[in-house]
Amino acid sequence: MAREIMERRAADNPYLHKDFHSALNHGMIYLHRHYGEAAVRAWLREFALKWYAPLRQRLAAGDLGPLRAHFETIYRVEEAALRIEQTPDELLVHVDACPAVAHMRSRGEEVSPLFVETTRTVNEALCEGTPFAADLLAYDPQTGSSVQRFRRRSP
Amino acid sequence: MISCTEFIPAYSELFSTLDRLGGRQAVRGFWDYLSAAFLTNLHDLVAEHGLRGCWLYWSHTLNEEAADFTMELDEEAGFFRITMHHCPSKGRLLSARHFAAYPDYCGHCDVLYRNILEPMGYEYETDLSRCDRAACSVTVRRRGAPTRRA
Repeated sequence: MAREIMERRAADNPYLHKDFHSALNHGMIYLHRHYGEAAVRAWLREFALKWYAPLRQRLAAGDLGPLRAHFETIYRVEEAALRIEQTPDELLVHVDACPAVAHMRSRGEEVSPLFVETTRTVNEALCEGTPFAADLLAYDPQTGSSVQRFRRRSP
Repeated sequence: MISCTEFIPAYSELFSTLDRLGGRQAVRGFWDYLSAAFLTNLHDLVAEHGLRGCWLYWSHTLNEEAADFTMELDEEAGFFRITMHHCPSKGRLLSARHFAAYPDYCGHCDVLYRNILEPMGYEYETDLSRCDRAACSVTVRRRGAPTRRA
């Protein structure tokens, strides 16, 4: 049989590998099983504090606009719908179905009971050191649908 | 939600977290677990198609990851190779100056796939010497196949 060769440049494809959601879920299951819930939250908090440092810096200036743009970007990339209501002091994010949970459910995978922390803990960490606080007003573990609120803290 | 486009730094931070909790052994324990629990599709493809299973597996993942690579398959010679010119995952970590990646981030690629392929009768060889430039190579040979150069 002839030798086959495939050549690809980065620009040939969009960057969207949804199986990464499953790998993250496996990481959560493993960490939970071996080191407990607190370790899972600590991991996600550390990740969010470090990775989103530039976003947190902008949020610390008191503007919710960059946070809104962040949500719009990640859900657009994931080809998922979301609805956002914004006032100067509050951002309400409505997600009808989490694309990560949808991907895993479509493959029949066990979703970690702590998967909600990719929203709750990450959002809380995003707000650390900023004038804002995060509340998870609703979350359905079956679909990942959620209502997420970011509000300016009372002085 | 952590977008799948932001998985890589979360994955790297997971390795750092495990290392803090249990040292290098804890990281290796997770890689072994992930290989067995998550890479069943690679195992199944290779079980069904032999070396071509590697081609089928990585055709899917590397294209979705928008990697810059050359992939070669020579079933007659028992040879499969990926030359990664620019790994999007490592590249992303290198370009994020504000984020300290796990120092042995690339080590997972060696462990995860080796765990699957070696017990199935293949030799698995990685060259991670250019990881600091987001480049590497992976060669898989059917055990007993002659060593060859492209």
